[in-house]
Amino acid sequence: MPIDRQRFDRIFNPKTVVVVGAKKATNYSWLRNMLTVKGKLYSVQLDENEIPGIEDLGVTNYKSMAEVPEPIDYVLVAVPRNVTPIILADAIKANAGGVAMFTSGFAETDDDGRALQEKVRGMALEAGMPLIGPNCMGIFSPAAGVRQNEDQYHGESGPVGFIGQSGTHTVYTSTTLNVVHGIKLAKSVSFGNAAVLEAADYLDYFAADPAVEIIGMYIEGVKDGRRFVRSLREAAAKKPVLIWKGGQTEQGARAAASHTASLAAPQAIWDTMIRQAGAIRVDSLDELVDTTAALVRLGEVHGGNGGLMCMTGGESVVITDAFGKQGLNVPRLTQKSYDEFATFFNVIGGSYQNPLDVSYNFGSPDVLRRLMRIMNDDDNVDFVGLEMFVSTMRMTSEKKNATFHEAIAEHAAAPSSKPFFTLVTATSAEREAVDLRRQLTEKGILAFPSFQRAAVAYRKVRDYWQAKRDA
Amino acid sequence: MSGNAIVEAARKEGRTLLTEVEAKQMLKEAGLDVTDTRLAKDKAGAVALAGELGYPVVLKIVSPDIVHKSDVGGVKLGLADADAVGAAYDEIVAAAKAAVPSANVHGVSVQAMAAPGTEIILGMSKDPQFGPVLMFGLGGVLVEVLKDVAFRIVPLTERDAKQMVREIKGFPVLEGYRGQDPADLAGIEAALLKLSEYVEGHEEIKELDLNPVFAYKDGLAAVDARIVLEDA
Repeated sequence: MPIDRQRFDRIFNPKTVVVVGAKKATNYSWLRNMLTVKGKLYSVQLDENEIPGIEDLGVTNYKSMAEVPEPIDYVLVAVPRNVTPIILADAIKANAGGVAMFTSGFAETDDDGRALQEKVRGMALEAGMPLIGPNCMGIFSPAAGVRQNEDQYHGESGPVGFIGQSGTHTVYTSTTLNVVHGIKLAKSVSFGNAAVLEAADYLDYFAADPAVEIIGMYIEGVKDGRRFVRSLREAAAKKPVLIWKGGQTEQGARAAASHTASLAAPQAIWDTMIRQAGAIRVDSLDELVDTTAALVRLGEVHGGNGGLMCMTGGESVVITDAFGKQGLNVPRLTQKSYDEFATFFNVIGGSYQNPLDVSYNFGSPDVLRRLMRIMNDDDNVDFVGLEMFVSTMRMTSEKKNATFHEAIAEHAAAPSSKPFFTLVTATSAEREAVDLRRQLTEKGILAFPSFQRAAVAYRKVRDYWQAKRDA
Repeated sequence: MSGNAIVEAARKEGRTLLTEVEAKQMLKEAGLDVTDTRLAKDKAGAVALAGELGYPVVLKIVSPDIVHKSDVGGVKLGLADADAVGAAYDEIVAAAKAAVPSANVHGVSVQAMAAPGTEIILGMSKDPQFGPVLMFGLGGVLVEVLKDVAFRIVPLTERDAKQMVREIKGFPVLEGYRGQDPADLAGIEAALLKLSEYVEGHEEIKELDLNPVFAYKDGLAAVDARIVLEDA
C-alpha cells in the first residue's frame, strides 16, 4: 500500500487515541499504556462488566467509534480475533487515521487465522486504511504520549526511529537505549504480521521524517525483497540505518546444480544486502544500542587510532586486545606527547605509553583535563577512550567524583575534542557501575559497559563513515 | 545459434540444463571472454575442429544429462595431435555412456587448451527474497572447499564490483602473490558488471557458473560454463 504521509502524521502525532477491547483480565494494560497520551484518550468496549473498571481509570468509554466526539487519529485494537473485522469496519466508518492490531491468531497461527488476515487486509486496502499489524504492539510516540508498554517514557523524545518485526525488541530497544545510553526515541513501530503495511513503508516514512536522524530496525524477513532493498538504499543515503537481522532463514540443504547456488546461503545474502545498501549490520540488542549511541554522541569519525587511558596496568593490556580484535590500533604517541608527560606524570605504579596507565595520576580534575588534552592533541590519535574503573572510583568521595565528571563532560563537549567516550567497567561493583554510567550519560557523555562493546561500536561507526566518504 | 534460439531449443526438448557449448555461446553474447568452444558430433568432426582451433586441445562430453563431466571421465586435456583427439573421442563417449546409459549425448566439445592462470569463479543464483545475486570467488574447481566467495545483489554498481573482488580472503593472490603475475582486476570487475547487466535482462536464467575462469595479467578466459534455466 503506498503510504499516505498525512495519515502517518496523524497516527504518530494523534490528538485523539482510542483503545478498543481493554479488559480487567489484563489489568486494562493497553489503557494503562496510553494514560500518558497528551491529547484525548477514549475506550471502546461493549462488555458492560468491563466498563466500571475502565471508568475507574478516568477514561470515558463508548460503545462504538461512531460515538466518539472528536476525529480519531489512532486506534489500538485488542479484541478477540473473530471480532477484528467488525472493529476495523467501525474504524473505517469513523474515518480513523490509522489502526494498530495487537490481536494475534492470524497468519502466524492457523488456516482460519490466514483467512482472517486476508479478510482484514482486503478491507483495509479497499478503504485506504493504514493497518499496522496484526500481532503487533503498534506505535510508540513519546512526545504524543503514545506507548506500547508501561516501562516506556513519555514527554521527552530523541533523534532515533525504530522499526521492529518483534514487539519485545521494539519495546526494549526504546527502554534499553534510554537506560544504558540516555538516548530516547523519536518514534517507533512494531509492525507484526505486516498484512498491509510492511517494513519498507515505515522505512520510507522515517527516511523522510526530519525528526528521525537515525533509523534502527529489527527484521526477521521481508515479503518483497527487491522493494525493501530500494527503500533501504534510499533511506541509508539520507541517514544511518542499523539492521539487526533475527532468525537464521536456512532452508535446509539446497539442491542446486551450480556452485553459486549451493554457496549462496540466505544469511550471507542478507549480510551482502545490508552492506551493499550502505546500512549498518548489528547482531544483538547491545550492538544496536551501543552503535546507535556512538552515532548520536560522536558524530562523524575518522580513523581507527585510539588514544586510550586506563586506571590499572592489567586493564591497559586487555583494552588493547579488545580494540585490536576489531582492527583498531593503539599507536605509539608522538615524542611531543611523551615530552609533555615527562614534565609531570608520576610513573610510580603507572606509565605514559598508549594505553596510558593513569594509576595515581587520577588525583585531581586539572590533571585529568591535562591528560585528556595531551591524548586528544596527539597527531597519531583519532579518538580518545577513558576507562573509569568503578572499584577505584568508589574510593573517592562523591563530591570529588562530581568534579571529575564535570571535567570529562567539558572535554567531551569541547569543539576541539576528537571523538571521545568513557568505558565504565564494573568488575564486582555492578550496581555502582550502573549509577556511574547514568551520571555520565546524563551529562551527554558516551559510556560503554565494556571494552568489547566500545570497540565494536566504534569500529562500526568508523566503517560507516569511511564507506560514506568512499561512496 | 543466438541465445534466444538456444533457450527455445532447450525448452522444446524439455530440459533446463544447457550444455557447455550452449552456455558459452550465450555468455559470449553477454560480452564475456569464453574460450572458443565448438560441438563435434562425431570423431571426424572432432579431429577437423581440433586442426582448426590449434593443438593442444581439450575434449569434453556434451550432454544435457551429465552435470559433472569430469566425474564420469568426460574430460580429456592436452591432446597434442589428431590421433590423440580421435582416441579421446571414443574414450569419452564410451565412458559417458557407461556411467549414464540413458544420457542423450550430443557429441564432444573441442577447444584450444588455455594457458593456465589464477583460477576464479563468477556466478549467479537467485535468492527467494532479493532476486538475482552474483558471486565472485577464488579457487575455481576448489571453490566449494575454500568457500572464499563474495556476493552482491543485482544490479551491481562499479563500486560493488570493486568491493566484491577485494572482499575475499584470497585477494592478495589476485594482486600477484610471491612473484606470480597479478590478475586483471579491472577485467574481472568489468566482467561482473557485464554479467549483472546480462542476468537482469534474462530472467529465464535460474543459475549460472563460469568456472573455472583463468585470470591473466591481461584478460580472462572462461574455460567452462554452466547455465540452468528456470522451469518453463
